[in-house]
Amino acid sequence: MADTRTPARPPGTRRPKAGKLTRQDGAAHVFMAPWLIGLVAITALPMFASLYLAFTDYNILSSPTWVGTENFERMAGDDRFWSAAWVTVTYVLVSVPLQLAFALALAMVLDKGLRGLAIYRSAYYLPSLLGTSVAVAVLWKQIFGYDGLVNQALGLIGIEGQNWLQNPDTALGTLIVLNVWTFGSPMVIFLAGLRQIPEELYEASRVDGASIVRQFASITIPLLTPIIFFNLILQTIGSFQAFTQAHVISSGTGGPVDSTLFYTLYIYQQAFVNFDMGYASALAWVLMVVIAIITAVHFTLSKRWVFYGD
Amino acid sequence: MADEAHFSSNDGSTTMREFNRRTLLMAAAGMAGGGALAGCSGVGGGSGGGGDDASGSVRYAFWGNNVRMENYQDAFDRMMEINPDVTLETEFAEYNAFQERMTTQMAAGNVADIFWIPSASVMSYYANDLYRPLSDVSTLDLSDFSEQDLRDFELAGEHNTMPHGIFVPVLRSNVTLAEEDGITIPENWTWDELAEFARDYANNSPDDRFALPFNASHDLTFEAWLRQRGEQLWTEDGQIGFTEDGLASWVDWWEQLRAAGATPEPGAQDGVEPSWEDIGDRTLLWTGNSNHIVDDATTFPDQQFALHHMPEAADAPAGHQFLYFPRMAIYQGVSDEQAELAGQVMTFCTSNSEIHEYVGLTMGAPVNPRVAEEVRDFASDYELQMLDVVTEDREIERTPRYEAPPGTNTWRTEMTRMLEQVTLGDVSVSQGAADLIAEINTGIERAAD
Repeated sequence: MADTRTPARPPGTRRPKAGKLTRQDGAAHVFMAPWLIGLVAITALPMFASLYLAFTDYNILSSPTWVGTENFERMAGDDRFWSAAWVTVTYVLVSVPLQLAFALALAMVLDKGLRGLAIYRSAYYLPSLLGTSVAVAVLWKQIFGYDGLVNQALGLIGIEGQNWLQNPDTALGTLIVLNVWTFGSPMVIFLAGLRQIPEELYEASRVDGASIVRQFASITIPLLTPIIFFNLILQTIGSFQAFTQAHVISSGTGGPVDSTLFYTLYIYQQAFVNFDMGYASALAWVLMVVIAIITAVHFTLSKRWVFYGD
Repeated sequence: MADEAHFSSNDGSTTMREFNRRTLLMAAAGMAGGGALAGCSGVGGGSGGGGDDASGSVRYAFWGNNVRMENYQDAFDRMMEINPDVTLETEFAEYNAFQERMTTQMAAGNVADIFWIPSASVMSYYANDLYRPLSDVSTLDLSDFSEQDLRDFELAGEHNTMPHGIFVPVLRSNVTLAEEDGITIPENWTWDELAEFARDYANNSPDDRFALPFNASHDLTFEAWLRQRGEQLWTEDGQIGFTEDGLASWVDWWEQLRAAGATPEPGAQDGVEPSWEDIGDRTLLWTGNSNHIVDDATTFPDQQFALHHMPEAADAPAGHQFLYFPRMAIYQGVSDEQAELAGQVMTFCTSNSEIHEYVGLTMGAPVNPRVAEEVRDFASDYELQMLDVVTEDREIERTPRYEAPPGTNTWRTEMTRMLEQVTLGDVSVSQGAADLIAEINTGIERAAD
C-alpha cells in the first residue's frame, strides 16, 4: 500500500501564505500558459462569440444585427433542419451500436492470443485512422458507385446493381457501413479492457460448468461495462459530429434529396455557402445542447448498468 | 542593455535567478502572445494592409486543381521576371475550400489583394463592397477593349471586376462515336430536332451508349434555354428572371428524354449532375461550357471531340446569345499603392498572351480580343475550336445578362435537389419548379432584409 500522506516540508522552509505564488507555481503557470491561452483564444472566445451570433443576423460582410430568438424560432419551420436532424439521429442510432458490436467481437477474437496479434491489431485499427479522411470517402465512391466493386460482385451472381450512393434509400446506409468499418479505435480500447478481466473468474466459472455464452453474459459483459460506456459516449458524440464522409460523397450537398444531409453538413452549408452565420451559430448551439443532454442521460442511466466493481 | 548586465552581475546569484525567471516569463508571454497574434493574422500574412510594403508583394487568390496551380505558378514566375517590382504570393485552393477561406478572410478583413470570384457570389460580394473600382487603377491596361466590352464587364454600371476568360454554352460531340455509328452532327438545329435525334439514337445505337447525359442541372445551358424563350436567369434589379413555366419546360424537356432512354438514369451517371469520367466515352453529345473541352478531352485521349453551338428555338429572340465571364477583383481594402501593383498583375493576366503559354485556355477564351488572336499561334486544336465558338458568339449583338443576386449562392444546389426529387418521382415537374422558385425567392428576400 502506497503512502498517500502529504510529504513533510523540508526543514527550515515555511508554509507558503495562501494566495501567494511560489516559484513552482510560477513555473507551472508558464508551462500552462500556451494551453491556457489556446483554450481562451481558440476555444472559449469563439464559443462565446458564436453564442452571441446565434441571436443575430450576421452575413460576415456586414455587422451582426440583434434578432433575439428569431434564428431558433426559424428552425421549427425549416424542413431541411428537420431532415438533417432525422438523418443524423438515424445515423447515430444505427451506426454506434453496430460499430461497438463489431469492435467488441473483433476484440474478443484478438484476445484469444492469435499469432501476429500486433499485425492484426494494426490492420484493424488502420481504418480508424483513415475512416474520416477524404481518401476513404473517395474510395467509398468507387466501391458503391454504379460501376463499383459491390455491383461487380453482385453481377457475378446475376444481380443487377444500382448506384448505392445516388439512391436516397441506400445512400445513408453506405455511410453507416463506412462508420462501422472504422471500428478499430473502440476495438483497441475493448481489447485493453478484456485484458483487465481476471482469468481466475473464467477458470472458476468453467469449474462450475458455465458455458462460453454464460461466461460472456455473466463475466465479460459486466466487467467490461465501464469500457462499453466509455466507448458509447465517445462514439455517440463523434457520430453526432460526423461531417467529412457526407461532405465528400455528396460533394457537399447532402444529397441525393438530403438523404445524407448530416446536421454538421447543414451547419456548414448555412455558414460557408449561404453566409448565414447567425443561423449556423444557432444550429451549432442546438447540437451542443442536444449532445450535452444525451451525454447527461447516458451518465444517469449508467448507474443502472455500468459495473465499476466497487 | 549594458545597465542590465551590470545590474545582474552586481546583485549576486539570487537576483540573477530572478532576472532569468522574469526574462523567461516575458519571453514565454511574448511567444504565446505572438503566436496568438500570428493566428489572428490569417493566411500567409501576405501584404494585407501592406499598402506601404516596399517589397511590392501582391496576394493573388484563385482556385482549381493541382495542374492549374502549377501552371499559374509558372506563369507568375514569368510575370515577376517582367515586373521585378512585384512579388506575387499565391493563395490557392480547390473550389469549395477556396470559398471557405474567402468567407473566413472576409470576416477577418484579410482578403487577398486580387481574388477570383465564385460565380454565385459576384453580386453578394458587390453588395458588401468587396470590390475596388478599377477605373482609377492606372496600371490596369484597358486599351485593347472596346466600349461595348467595358460595358459588358460592369456590375450595376460600375467597372469593379475584371473578367479573365469567356465561356459560352455549347454542345460537344464525340466524333469517334459519331463516326462509328455513321452519324453526322448537324450544325444548326432546334431543341425539338435535337430531342428527336436523341430518341432516334437511343433506339438504334448499342445499349451502352447514350445520346446525351441527363444534364438539366447545367446552369449555362439552362440560361441559354431561358434566353431563347425571351426570359432571363436573373433580372437587373436582382430578382428571378424566369417563370415557373420556363423552368418547368426545361426540366420537362430532359425528363422526356430520360423516359425515352435517350439519357442515362441519374444513378448510372453518378447523380443528376453527370460525371464525364463515368460516361463521357459512351455519350454522343454533351451540353456544357465551351472551355471544358480543353480538360475533358484529356480524359479520353483515344477519342476525338468537336464543339457546336447550342440548339436554337425556332422563335428565339435576336441577341439571346450571351458570354459568361469568370471574374476577378481587387479587394477594396487595399491602399492606392497596392492597387497599382495589383493592376500590373491584372494586366499581365488579361492583356499579355504569354500567360496562356503557361496556363493554356482552361479558363476560357482570352477576354482581350488582341490576346485572343495572338494565342491562336500556339493553341491546340480543341482550344482553337473553343476560340471559334466564343468569337462567333462574341461578334453577335447580345441582350444584357445579369449576375446572380445576393441570397442565391445555393440556387444550383437547390436545383439539383429539385431534379433529384423529380427524377425519383417524389414531386411533379410543375410542383418542383414552383418549390424551387419559392426557395430561391426566400433566399433573395432574406438577403435583402
